[in-house]
Amino acid sequence: MPREIITLQVGQCGNQIGMEFWKQLCLEHGISKDGILEDFATQGGDRKDVFFYQADDQHYIPRALLIDLEPRVINAIQNSEYRNLYNHENIFVADHGGGAGNNWASGYHQGEQVQEDIMDMVDREVDGSDSLEGFVLCHSIAGGTGSGMGSYLLETLNDRYSKKLVQTYSVFPNQSESSDVVVQPYNSLLTLKRLTLNADCVVVLDNTALNKIAVERLHLTNPTFAQTNSLVSTVMSASTTTLRYPGYMNNDLVGLLASLIPTPRCHFLMTGYTPLTVERQANVIRKTTVLDVMRRLLQTKNIMVSSHARTKEASQAKYISILNIIQGEVDPTQVHESLQRIRERKLVNFIEWGPASIQVALSRKSPYVQTAHRVSGLMLASHTSIRHLFSKCLSQYEKLRKKQAFLDNYRKFPMFQDDLSEFDESREVIESLVDEYKACESPDYIKWGMEDPDGVLTGEGNATGSVDPKLAV
Amino acid sequence: MEEEPNNNKVFDLIRELVVRLLSNSSPTQSIDSERALKYAMRILSSRMTPSISIDEASMVESIKRNLVNEGKSSDALNFADLYNKFSSKSGPGSVKNKWGLMYMLKVISEDRKKDKKSDSRVSSGFFASTVNGGLPALFDDLNENSRKTLDNGKSSSRFGGGGGVLLISKDSENFRDLAFREFGNLLKEESEVLEGVLVRDVLYTCQGIDGKYVKFDKNLDGYAVGDSVKVPRATKVMVRKLCELGWLFRKVKGYVSECMDRFPAEDVGTVGQAFCAALQDELSEHYKLLAVLEAQSMNPIPMVSEATSTGNYLSLRRLLVWFAEPMVLMRLMAVLVDSCKVLRGGAMAGAIHNHAQHGDPLVQEFMRRLLRRVCSPLFEMVRSWVLEGELDDIFAEFFVLGQPVKAESLWREGYRLHGGMLPSFISQSLAQRILRTGKSINFLRVCCEDQGWADAALEAAAAVGTTTRRGGLGYGETDALEALVIEAAKRIDKHLMDVMYKRYKFKEHCLTIKRYLLLGQGDFVQYLMDIVGPDLSEPANTISSFKLAGLLESAIRSSNAQYDDPDMLDRLRVKMMPHGSGDRGWDVFSLEYDARVPLNTVFTESVMAQYLRIFNFLWKLRRVEHTLIGAWKTMKPNRITSHFLTKQEGAVKQQFVSTLRRCQVLWVEMNHFVSNLQYYIMFEVLEVSWAHFVDEMEAAKDLDDLLAAHDKYLDSIVEKSLLGERSHSLFKTLFVLFDLILQFRSHADRLYEGIHELQARTVDHSKSSRGRTKSRLKSNNESSEVGTWVSGGRKALTQRAGEFLRDTRKDLEVVAKEYSSSLEGFISQLPLQQHVDLKFLLFRLDFTEFYSRTRLKK
Repeated sequence: MPREIITLQVGQCGNQIGMEFWKQLCLEHGISKDGILEDFATQGGDRKDVFFYQADDQHYIPRALLIDLEPRVINAIQNSEYRNLYNHENIFVADHGGGAGNNWASGYHQGEQVQEDIMDMVDREVDGSDSLEGFVLCHSIAGGTGSGMGSYLLETLNDRYSKKLVQTYSVFPNQSESSDVVVQPYNSLLTLKRLTLNADCVVVLDNTALNKIAVERLHLTNPTFAQTNSLVSTVMSASTTTLRYPGYMNNDLVGLLASLIPTPRCHFLMTGYTPLTVERQANVIRKTTVLDVMRRLLQTKNIMVSSHARTKEASQAKYISILNIIQGEVDPTQVHESLQRIRERKLVNFIEWGPASIQVALSRKSPYVQTAHRVSGLMLASHTSIRHLFSKCLSQYEKLRKKQAFLDNYRKFPMFQDDLSEFDESREVIESLVDEYKACESPDYIKWGMEDPDGVLTGEGNATGSVDPKLAV
Repeated sequence: MEEEPNNNKVFDLIRELVVRLLSNSSPTQSIDSERALKYAMRILSSRMTPSISIDEASMVESIKRNLVNEGKSSDALNFADLYNKFSSKSGPGSVKNKWGLMYMLKVISEDRKKDKKSDSRVSSGFFASTVNGGLPALFDDLNENSRKTLDNGKSSSRFGGGGGVLLISKDSENFRDLAFREFGNLLKEESEVLEGVLVRDVLYTCQGIDGKYVKFDKNLDGYAVGDSVKVPRATKVMVRKLCELGWLFRKVKGYVSECMDRFPAEDVGTVGQAFCAALQDELSEHYKLLAVLEAQSMNPIPMVSEATSTGNYLSLRRLLVWFAEPMVLMRLMAVLVDSCKVLRGGAMAGAIHNHAQHGDPLVQEFMRRLLRRVCSPLFEMVRSWVLEGELDDIFAEFFVLGQPVKAESLWREGYRLHGGMLPSFISQSLAQRILRTGKSINFLRVCCEDQGWADAALEAAAAVGTTTRRGGLGYGETDALEALVIEAAKRIDKHLMDVMYKRYKFKEHCLTIKRYLLLGQGDFVQYLMDIVGPDLSEPANTISSFKLAGLLESAIRSSNAQYDDPDMLDRLRVKMMPHGSGDRGWDVFSLEYDARVPLNTVFTESVMAQYLRIFNFLWKLRRVEHTLIGAWKTMKPNRITSHFLTKQEGAVKQQFVSTLRRCQVLWVEMNHFVSNLQYYIMFEVLEVSWAHFVDEMEAAKDLDDLLAAHDKYLDSIVEKSLLGERSHSLFKTLFVLFDLILQFRSHADRLYEGIHELQARTVDHSKSSRGRTKSRLKSNNESSEVGTWVSGGRKALTQRAGEFLRDTRKDLEVVAKEYSSSLEGFISQLPLQQHVDLKFLLFRLDFTEFYSRTRLKK
């Protein structure tokens, strides 16, 4: 009864990072490119069946669905050395192969049309697992297929498997350079709505920040997609280590996410990873103690979401939750010491309306992957500054919307035929999301959004103390 | 020299002698010889006497001593032999003045020593002795010799003893002599018993036999001369004094024979036997002495005035001297007998040892001899115990006691030190080591069914050397004993550790226990909780432990536990604790580990009981965590799709928002508490204790170390998990908190169920306005109170929603209030638990100082 997780990789970006992810998992579990367990991979202790299942001939098959509306990336996968890894029944490429044309509405609409095919695949995978934990969706929010079709899949999954978890790894477009996708703000907004309402957890992978990290931290002058994708796959595999190497705690996805997402709506997670390396890149070996790792994880330069906040706002930003997954040879006693240091130096700013702390999960490191450093760490955190990313999306959308630009492309599709209320609704949802994050920064989040008309709050004892009436919005 | 012809004869003889002695010299020196002759004559006729008293025995002794001092002990023995022959000669032709002869020989040898340089031994010896005054004695002896030959056959009881008093005895009418004789007669008159008889009596008493006059007097508790016997007071006193030896002898002898009689019975013991044997030996020495003395006592005691011619005689005074040394020893023996009478075995050896600390070399030597004998059985026991693990101690004398026990308690209870039997020359730590070594062997033999220890023992014996043969060790070689024990201990312990670690996989078992009983194997625990959860919610008495065992099996099979050693998994069992009527399965379910021999020496029942308590606590903690996660799943992000209520206006919306948030925030608090408690348990308790344990395990040299390390490990977990006695109130609060969390779960579930119901209803309602179709959800709708919300129009629905929310909110508030007060109690109690370092827990719980701020506000 492993807590199986089914991965859906949708669109060009989703399939690319998905492929990297599986590559990484195969390496870590000692599974060959064909899905055969390597001879050296006998040490056990790892759990392969969360992400893989075994075919009749014992070879491991990822619980993955590869979905795209155009064949280019998937063809590449099928021609790569990993072609025998995947279950070919799980690959879906639209017959026409024309893609979604970077149009969210097109992706969404096509998703609707091929819904049955895809849900058949999903159902088959679900039936093949004993105790499905949930789904992981890899996609980008800017393009057409990943965003549009991904959105449609999110809604469907939410409806159909409402008790299962839905986690997404969502790549946010690079907002510092002009994108080749002009309708990117529209797509982002519409996808964000689904991420807000239909996903349980969204791991935000901000291309802006990834690029910046690649340039500034890894000293790559012109980072390629492959390079940024390898960063993503590192994060993805690291965030699943506790599921794959069972320990005392955090052995399932729900346990991992529950503590990270105390307020259901604020389920967008930022990630940080250290020490960062890119494949085959000679790297300066740094000292990696638990304290070093934990301290570096709190530095913004290692965080894979760019902060668009102004300084003043940034200073008010707070962590809602932090989970550090530390991999490698760690003396458990160091954890406490590190936490103490971090608190002494006030390196971290937490919400004030409830108790919070840095949670630390220790995890084994794959014995089959050699790294130069003893300890590495991944931070998963819910931080209120992420609202600035959404604000930026909103403002870009507003700009475009004001010009009424490119809307015709959307009106072609049923959802937008009658009116553009979907845009307004999405905007509303995102705005309220931003507001909620903002409210989290205040100590009186608990009262936020209430006028307290019947004195329920003031009339009864409140664990968090009395409230300044002025602060209660 | 009493008669003239004799005189002439003497003169002739002397001249002859002088001529012979000086004949080597040149003939011209006849004047010299003439002079020497004259000189000799002059000396002979002089009244010179040697300046020392006449005592033949002491003279002999002094010669012997001289010889010994010069390192010629064999000569001394020869001399003694010759002298014996010489002195025993009597009758015609024998030399009468034996003392004189001895004295002369001595003086000559001394002279010779003094003038070794000179070539002519005779002349220089001659003159030298003239100079240093030795000569007169020489000539005196010569004179005596000659006189003796002259006196041949004549009775000389009166003046034959002459020697140095030659000239006195020559004059038998001498005043001194007369006075002495008179004194002697007076003495004879004063006592009716002759001294000689008393001496013999004393000698008898010294063998424990009553003499004719000296008898054992029970009143006095000692030997004394009977009152009726008329002897001088001084003599009586002296006899009493001498008879102490007899009294002591009687005591020692009595003890020895008593013991001998009891030999077959068990209460003497081998040490006692050895002691008796040693005493017996000492007593036979005593007999030897007595035999000699008795022989001497045959010689009549001369009157004070008389000279001894009969050789050695014994007087009471002489006896006193003779007895001086035996008395010390006998007294010692008597003391030992007294103090050891009631003791046995090691205690006896120890008591004797306490007397051995003596400055007198005589006593020391004696004690050492004695102790060597006494301790030999004891040392033999140590040897066979340490090298063979055999406890051949039928008389229970050894300081290690064995008792028949079950295999699992062999180590802890099978053997113990018997403090009373531990002789003081074996230190406590050595004794412990001895105990442990033998115990290890027995443990290996009985519990581990291992034979390898024999090699280890052999090696140890070889390493120490040859002193390990049977009976090879003795008292005074405590060092050797210690070396043997240390060597044996080292090897046996190492072997035992090897067996424990390698063959019985001790460490792996500990790890297995940690992973399953202490819930370290998270995925296993999770599955187990998932699959046994529904069953455990049933009343305890309806649960089949058989079914649970099956579920445990499948939890193992579907988690990573399946890759573990099947032998270890086999030992994992479901255990249902005894349960009362109201108990649910959750209260009684637990896991146990069947350690089996020999591991159950470590994992005894009480240890397993500790593990069980820890398991129950951790299991409960896990269950609470599981519950909270379950709650999160019902309120997880993508299920909050309740637009209906957020679109409402006014109070209901407010209530909805506030109730939901209340629920969430309460969840945050509870989850924070539970997960941080879990982190604390994992990092600060389990892992840290385990890391220490592993270190100590590696350092452990013997099973005791290992046991101690394990106990420490377990204790530290118990203490730090607040399971200890002193954390009782804290622990109770903790369980109150746990129960509140479980309560919260049901409220939260009800709230969300209600919300989903409402949501379905609104959809239903809007649909039903067009055509009343029953929704799937509605039919699912069961007895819960929400089910009573019949569709009574939108307004009614809103109103009902408001009521429901208010009620739920109230329930939640009750839980929240109780929870925060309990939590506050818990947190404020934490710093008071000084016996465990709980600051880690406090630190984690209050990482953002949320609770300290809250308290400040109040």
